Amino acid sequence: MKRNLLVLAISLLFMACTVKPSKINYGSDHCHFCDMTIVDKTHASQYVTKKGKPYMFDAIECMVNDLSKNNNEDNMAFILVSDYNKPGTLINAKEATFLISEKIKSPMGANLSAFNSKKIAEKYLQENGGKLFTWEQLKVKLSQ
Amino acid sequence: MAIESLMKNNTKTIYTFIIVAFLLFENSAFATTINVCSSCEITSIKEAVLIAKKGDTILVKKGIFKETQINITKAVHIIGENMPILDGENKTESIFAVSTDNFTISGFKFINVGLSYTKEIAGVFISKSTYFKVTDNVFENVFYAFILQRTKYGLIKHNQIKGSAKSEVTSGNGIHLWKCSHMRIEQNTISGMRDGIYFEFVSNSHISNNRSMDNVRYGLHFMFSNHNEYHHNEFKNNGAGVAVMFSKFIKMHHNTFHFNWGTASYGLLLKEIYDAEINDNVFEQNTIGINIDGCNRINYKNNHFIRNGWALKFTGGCYANVFEFNNFMHNAFDLSYNSRLNDNKFEANYWSEYTGYDIDKNGIGDVPFRPVKLFSYIVNKTPEALVLLRSLFVDIINFSEKVSPVFTPDNLKDNKPLMKPVNPIN
Repeated sequence: MKRNLLVLAISLLFMACTVKPSKINYGSDHCHFCDMTIVDKTHASQYVTKKGKPYMFDAIECMVNDLSKNNNEDNMAFILVSDYNKPGTLINAKEATFLISEKIKSPMGANLSAFNSKKIAEKYLQENGGKLFTWEQLKVKLSQ
Repeated sequence: MAIESLMKNNTKTIYTFIIVAFLLFENSAFATTINVCSSCEITSIKEAVLIAKKGDTILVKKGIFKETQINITKAVHIIGENMPILDGENKTESIFAVSTDNFTISGFKFINVGLSYTKEIAGVFISKSTYFKVTDNVFENVFYAFILQRTKYGLIKHNQIKGSAKSEVTSGNGIHLWKCSHMRIEQNTISGMRDGIYFEFVSNSHISNNRSMDNVRYGLHFMFSNHNEYHHNEFKNNGAGVAVMFSKFIKMHHNTFHFNWGTASYGLLLKEIYDAEINDNVFEQNTIGINIDGCNRINYKNNHFIRNGWALKFTGGCYANVFEFNNFMHNAFDLSYNSRLNDNKFEANYWSEYTGYDIDKNGIGDVPFRPVKLFSYIVNKTPEALVLLRSLFVDIINFSEKVSPVFTPDNLKDNKPLMKPVNPIN
């Protein structure tokens, strides 16, 4: 019995230490970069440091700007962006396809949104116009 | 000679008279009124819009009209009599979609405009229009009440917008403007939306006499919008009162910001604002009166800061700001500062915490006042320390810092603190 408890306690301890993304509290969390309240489920983003501290952003452009300002991308365990096609789901930024289109506005004026698959992104591109980017291309584009 | 010129004048008058008469005649002869009601010849607004000609009035009688996507592309005046109801039935379509000049929409009650994450849907959606007015409408349970894109010289007046605000994310903005100029937003009441009024890339516009309250995010929100003015508005109980971000040359006066409480809430958030004027406003009972982040060349005059957690909180570099003739009364912290440099001027303000004296009786205290308490630095670093706010220990460290400043910028002081408040309000 005692041993069981010990095992449980230890496993709980380890669970608490797992580095994982945390839930964004829409309507109360603030953007780490621009301080706006995060409300947009289609554009919110988040990075989690290797130590496990999550930082939320109201828009992808805020996160990209923050990363390039601090030059700390290598220090991140997770870099996540919202899937525009499935509001509220976060996807890996490095594998996402990004669209900059005048027709789809984002909270901080970059008209930038992200998609899980390239196919869906292309569909939105056809409907709305604009240009597709990968994560690496996007960083170059926003630093111009 | 004299007679000749008189004759000439007379003919001119006659011509003018004929032209004026003709204009009047034309108006009365060609602009017709089309009645719409369930027992009328025309029963739908869409139908009426279809047959209407430029300048016509469409008079909609009392009743419920379940119509969406009413496209208006000609100059007509759509007037509701006794508040007819336009029901969007939660479809993902706007009720009015307008793209024309010189039109009016007035006297309707808009309900049930559906929500969408990806489409912009509003009770009244106006794009690329000029010289119009939308007045005296009521909006209930709408995703967005107004979306205006690329419009000029419009008036949005006396509308009541009431959102459901059950969930903060699923609500849109009350009055949403994008790339507009020369607009006037007056006497509207907005509650329970995401942002009450939202300006993105808007210039030369006025927002006055509105009441914006109980909104999930901001009462009023500016982004990248220069040369605007807002005055005589009330912002109450919002997630945060007003956010003015990345904008230049904004005038803010005679507004009231109150009861914006919350862990990171404020009456007014200023982020990268240059050359603004902030006069005659009242900041009462907010967690933070004004949060100032990277703002330069702003004049603050005749404002009242009453019973806030922090009256002013500086974050990021702020330069060449001037604070004159403001009243700081009964705030837990008058000023919180993040750096040891000061390039801002505080002069001739009234500070209720001032304990100096005025021997020469000129109304100006004889010893300077230092508005930054040492304890506010500690709270900045460790917010939890706030529980010690009223302790004797904190009083002692504040006092010792006051006597010999070590951590606070030496020149951060009001050299002419006033003995009496400036135009106190009661």
